[in-house]
Amino acid sequence: MDRRDFMKMTGGTILAVSSGTYAFQFLVASGRSVSGDNIAAGTVRWGMVIDLNKCIEGCTACLDACRTENNVAFHGDNRWDVHWIRKVKAEQKIGTESKEKSILLLCNHCDKPPCAQVCPVQATYKRNDGIVIVDHHRCIGCRYCMIACPYNARYFNMKDSEHWQNEERPKRSHGVAEACTLCAHRLDTGRQPACVEACNNTGAGVLFVGNLNDSDSEVSQLIADRPTKRLREELGTEPKVHYIGL
Amino acid sequence: MEIIFEKLEGKSLAYRMAMLVFAAFAVGGLISTWIVIEKGICVTGMTNRVPWGLQIVMAIYYIGLSAGSLVISGLYGVFGKQEYKPFARIAVWIAMLFLIAGMLSILTDQGRMDRVFVEPFVHFNLQSMFSINPILYSGHIFICVVYLWALFTERKRFTTIIATIAFGWAFCVHSGTGAIFGFGARVLYESPLLPVSFVTAAMASGTALMILLIVGLFKITKRYLDDRLILWLGQFLAVCILVVVYFLFIENAYRAYVVELRPAAMYYLFEGLHSILFWVGLILIGCVIPMFILFRKKTGQTIKWIVFASSLVVFGVICERYVIVLPGLTHPQEILTGMHITQSAIQEGVANYTISLAEIAQALGVFGVIGFLFLWGMKFFKLMPTEAVIYDQIGMIKRNEYQKRREAKSIKSSE
Ligand code: SF4
Repeated sequence: MDRRDFMKMTGGTILAVSSGTYAFQFLVASGRSVSGDNIAAGTVRWGMVIDLNKCIEGCTACLDACRTENNVAFHGDNRWDVHWIRKVKAEQKIGTESKEKSILLLCNHCDKPPCAQVCPVQATYKRNDGIVIVDHHRCIGCRYCMIACPYNARYFNMKDSEHWQNEERPKRSHGVAEACTLCAHRLDTGRQPACVEACNNTGAGVLFVGNLNDSDSEVSQLIADRPTKRLREELGTEPKVHYIGL
Repeated sequence: MEIIFEKLEGKSLAYRMAMLVFAAFAVGGLISTWIVIEKGICVTGMTNRVPWGLQIVMAIYYIGLSAGSLVISGLYGVFGKQEYKPFARIAVWIAMLFLIAGMLSILTDQGRMDRVFVEPFVHFNLQSMFSINPILYSGHIFICVVYLWALFTERKRFTTIIATIAFGWAFCVHSGTGAIFGFGARVLYESPLLPVSFVTAAMASGTALMILLIVGLFKITKRYLDDRLILWLGQFLAVCILVVVYFLFIENAYRAYVVELRPAAMYYLFEGLHSILFWVGLILIGCVIPMFILFRKKTGQTIKWIVFASSLVVFGVICERYVIVLPGLTHPQEILTGMHITQSAIQEGVANYTISLAEIAQALGVFGVIGFLFLWGMKFFKLMPTEAVIYDQIGMIKRNEYQKRREAKSIKSSE
């Protein structure tokens, strides 16, 4: 073997080994699941049930609580306002009659989240308990997730937020995407999400959050006993927000 | 015949003025980008409903131009058409710069530009088209550099190899970029045809731009250019446009035919600003008129008309890029099946988007940077051929005539 061949061989080996290791690293080492298929059975899988029949006309308790709890940005301009949860009025025509309903819309924490699939930096990911969340220290602000979400549930911080009511939660600065976190920080410490708590305080009791993997949990019971619907089920995103009375 | 490449002198007034204008654009872009970084995306026309705007339109436009101009260099590099060798270096140089322009446009569009250089590479997501594309793009730039080097050092065999790789890679780059949209969840994005039609539109715009550039450069620097070279490019351009029209037709016919997609198709074709851009900008100005000019015997064989048609195509393809990106976003998604949202805190129906000054400044800024680099390169690298001739009998006769005329002229002017 002459010098040239030797150089070629060593060069080639180094290149192959290093690129192989690198490839292996980003395929395996990331503990995050983009598709979310690594959830161990029997563990917690958070989900939500919304009983629209009980929702009080004109009430905004859950929306306000969410905004205060998470310092969600509000600028008074519908181009930039962020709504982790929003209440819309929708009209449905059945025959000649048209019915109007108030509907709460929020991130569905899809089991197969398209937003996480497209995120180029894995800033959006699904936690092992099923909550879809954005790492706002990693998000580069490409907004591809907003394009991919079929529910318009994603928002972008177009502008720095002035509000900082809850100092335990980060102040929202511009440049990153976000959506409802199902108050993961609260669930992790055994508390209910802010919206659920606020709704219960009004006595309406529209919102339920619980473990979908536990057949005895309130949410599982409701889903089993009552007719529920999920949004755009045909898309196969497997939303985890179930509606009663939609 | 040996083709001699040389550097531009870069001392003329025109050169200096052009450099100045490009630099001014670049500074404008820098300032506006700084404002976006400081204040956030709210200074642009984008909203929470329309999160992508002009910068993305420009990005995919530039990337298209890049792939298209690479095709021209491929005529020599891949297909061995000797007569196109004079343009090979310029074509690769511009292909590289346009790809950089595309990347700059994407970069300046990000919410957190500071993170772009690290995060996508350390947290690679194989399932995201947005993750795969940067790899394709940086690969493309790298290949262009090697390609240029091969051309500069006149390595024939190696040129063919790298040109072929570049050619194939350009297709991947383009299909990948098209897939960002085509594989998306939106009604007006989703289409496996999109990457393909994307490539053809790219070829059309790239060829058109190369025609403009070559004719312009040869004219300004007073070099001899064999008309037949441009005539052939003109015909090639016409065919490209024909294919673009064909794809556009299939895509829209499909949407208009399938019942569930029909409302979206109607929205795309007949409602709002984008439909005007579609019919007037893309179909009429970008396709029909140029095709008419190029396929017609009389005009299709005249350099002036070909140049005119090319400039129309260059404009038309910007419109094409716009109607790829924006209608898909402004068109509402159906969140509640069978229901109509009447009241909401956000814009729920058709959203609107207006191009803002900040975005225009950014887009011009990127253009300025690239223009500046292009001219700078012309001065420092041997990119420009002394002449572009088809070395056959007619070609030689014509060239000699041209030279005689020029000599006569210069004698006259010196008298
Ligand atoms: S609703 Fe939208 S943001 Fe929430 S997980 Fe599904 S795709 Fe992602």
